[in-house]
Amino acid sequence: MIRLLLRRLLELVPTVLVIVVASFALVRLAPGSPFSSEKEIPAEIRQKLEAKYGFDKPLPEQFIRYIGNLLKGDLGLSTKYPQRTVNEIIANGFPVSLTLAAVALLWSLLVGITAGIIGAIRQNTVWDYTAMTAALVGISVPSFVLGPLLVLVVSLRLHMLPPAGWGDWHHVILPGLTLGTIYAGSIARLMRGGMLDVVRSDFIRTARAKGVTEWVIVWRHMFPTAILPVVSYLGPAIASMLTGSVVVEKIFNVPGIGPYFVDAAFNRDYFLVMGIVLLYAFFLLLLNLVVDVLYGFLDPRVDVS
Amino acid sequence: MKVFLQRFNVIMHKTTFQSYVVFVLTFTTVLATGCQQQSSPYFGTVKPRHGPQEIWINNSSEPEWLDPGRCSDSTGGEIIWNTFEGLVQAHPATLKPLPAIATHWDISDDGRVYRFYLRPSFWSDGHPLTADDFVFALRRLVDPQTGSKYASNGFIFEKGLAISRGEAAVNSLGVRALDSHTLEIELVDPLPYFLNFLSFYSFMPIPQHLFQNLQERGIDQDLWTRPEHVVCNGAFQMTDWQFRQHMTFEKNIKYWDADSVKLDRVRVAMVESSTTAMNMYVAGEFDWPGGSTSLPAEFMDHLESYKDFHSHPYLGVYFYWINTTKPPLDDPLVRRALSLAIDRDSLVKHVTRGGQIGSSDLVPDGLAGYEGLHLPVYDPAEARRLLAEAGYPAGQGLPEVTLSFNTSEGHKQVAEAIQAMWQQELGIAVELENQEWKVFLANAEQMNFQISRMGWIGDYADPYTFLELLTSDCGNNHSNWSSKTYDALLEQANQHNDPEERLTILRKAEAFALAEQPLIPLYVYTRTQLIKPYVRGIWGNHQDRHPWKYMWIDESFEPGEENSESVNTSRKAIQVHK
Repeated sequence: MIRLLLRRLLELVPTVLVIVVASFALVRLAPGSPFSSEKEIPAEIRQKLEAKYGFDKPLPEQFIRYIGNLLKGDLGLSTKYPQRTVNEIIANGFPVSLTLAAVALLWSLLVGITAGIIGAIRQNTVWDYTAMTAALVGISVPSFVLGPLLVLVVSLRLHMLPPAGWGDWHHVILPGLTLGTIYAGSIARLMRGGMLDVVRSDFIRTARAKGVTEWVIVWRHMFPTAILPVVSYLGPAIASMLTGSVVVEKIFNVPGIGPYFVDAAFNRDYFLVMGIVLLYAFFLLLLNLVVDVLYGFLDPRVDVS
Repeated sequence: MKVFLQRFNVIMHKTTFQSYVVFVLTFTTVLATGCQQQSSPYFGTVKPRHGPQEIWINNSSEPEWLDPGRCSDSTGGEIIWNTFEGLVQAHPATLKPLPAIATHWDISDDGRVYRFYLRPSFWSDGHPLTADDFVFALRRLVDPQTGSKYASNGFIFEKGLAISRGEAAVNSLGVRALDSHTLEIELVDPLPYFLNFLSFYSFMPIPQHLFQNLQERGIDQDLWTRPEHVVCNGAFQMTDWQFRQHMTFEKNIKYWDADSVKLDRVRVAMVESSTTAMNMYVAGEFDWPGGSTSLPAEFMDHLESYKDFHSHPYLGVYFYWINTTKPPLDDPLVRRALSLAIDRDSLVKHVTRGGQIGSSDLVPDGLAGYEGLHLPVYDPAEARRLLAEAGYPAGQGLPEVTLSFNTSEGHKQVAEAIQAMWQQELGIAVELENQEWKVFLANAEQMNFQISRMGWIGDYADPYTFLELLTSDCGNNHSNWSSKTYDALLEQANQHNDPEERLTILRKAEAFALAEQPLIPLYVYTRTQLIKPYVRGIWGNHQDRHPWKYMWIDESFEPGEENSESVNTSRKAIQVHK
């Protein structure tokens, strides 16, 4: 087990390196510069600005410097927010996105798993149709429709929660529900599929024959096997929840790191783009590893070592 | 749980699929009915959610700099204008320069040298403010070491341009402290708009003593505007700054005019989405979504009927640059034909819908007494004649033309409308090309386009802020059009000390340039605002400057009470002159 972990962690190094090189090259290939604006900046001033960030040096030299700083844990300076480092910006926004992700994850698991199980054990009944219609709606309705609808009803009509902002617990509910619902739909369908796969297995028939109660069959015997597709799905899903959602964070003005994926690229904020890409890559790789390890615990057929 | 499930299952089994559909439809209808707008003359709540000494506003996005010497965006400018005070301040309604830190001034006969007499005043930490703080600030603005994107604002001062190029010493700038409270400013030209321009945020004083203090403590001087360090001399002082969330400002009791400041606290949020900001306004989380927040165009027709909706002209022009070196647009006849074929009134009425004013002029009306040219905004017959004269009757034989704009729904709609007008009136098929902002800017810089969208916001209330765009050495001139006659006319106007005569020359220059049509003006901007009816002391003005120092919350306001007709929401006359 430990050997596997070590091997997998070592494998992360070349993957991350490829990501760094590719994103560094891509972001520099894009036309335009962080300092281009509608109003002309005098050439001398522009040179000073470029020198401040080291953009006046040849690209290979800049890359080596970036890698050097990266190894020291320094992600560089932002050009859009010149008084802040990328480390500071991520440290500011990441806990926010994390809180939002936690609420969204809880909501999506609660709703998704419940709906999936109900759909499977009451297959082809109104229960199943309702749960799966809801799941289909959850998957199909984009967050830029669901978010404003929730704001309209919950905030502007019922005056129950603030329409946007960040600060205390009631700011997190609407964006959490909006973000979570997208995932809840997929989880429900995967869970139902997983349950239906095992419901006719021999070991379930054996358990029934032994007179085990339905409750125990569902939770002890079916659930651990049926949840496996959901677990594989959750790896990348959690990574993308953790790194925030561009749309949800914009609609609810949540100061997380989601919008940087788009804005930093548009602003040619080179170091911020790199920082965000690296963060996302790191979580994606890490969570995929966690998923693989979890498989070993949940499914006796998988030998992780 | 199991029993409950079984019982519910039985009930649901009895239910037919049809009744299920009926249930879903009824539920949706109830929800939709509940969502219908109730009839109120105001858009959203009209009860303040805070005490009378506070206001909640929006400033749309996280500012790049709050440092007057480095700021180049309107969101930073909004904060600087309310936390710093320069030699003069702009009247909140008319924008005429009023005494601020300078009580009065003398102007030399040739109009180039100004001598300002400063009142005794203090920084927020109690340190006296002197003429040296202005000298320090203005030298820093043009010093290439500062790397200010708005260094060019300092080129109006003697030696400003040379210093920024590293050709002259920083201390040779034409800004001198004659004594601790007398400041002399020497200009390159006798600019009639200088006093108006002087209230711009680039020209605020900077606390030199704070910089020394930070240096001694080994703290990065770039961080001087953070709330834990900042020292200011304006009406408000920042006490809290939550990155990309909100800032809090408290009244600065050391401000020279603190007695006229009514609010104790201003909470400024940074909400980028205009729809989100509007929702927050409805819920009472904003009293005023702020000068720099535009309202969503698709809501405009709906919002206009509310009493708390206001609109006023704004000093900005929307236009299309033409690259005058690429055929067929190197022919002025073709350029003029394109301009005359655009039905600007229809464009602003049906497409932009924000109350904009269709115009073929580069300079909007009413700038420092300047009377606009009022060129025809639509003349399709003349357009067809000009195009035929250029050798392309009914658009036949015209080489391909591409119109570029930066990706945005609004720009796209305008471009599509104009594409249709050119097709209909002139028989020309124009290609549209949208580009991501930085790509668009790079193409504009390299003159890699045929027709390109642009908007220009005037920095000061003088025609020159627009006319300068077409001079040969202006870095913002993206037309490749240059004319010695035009340059000479502007130069001649700048040397003129008589305002009337100067405006006449500028008018001649504008007419000369537009006859060549190096750009196609489309409309003059407007600002649309939502302001809660209990907020007083906000005036609509064409530079969208709304100092917080005049704002106050009217506790006696009752819904149903008539509000004044325009953005002038002051019920009591405010003493502006001191």
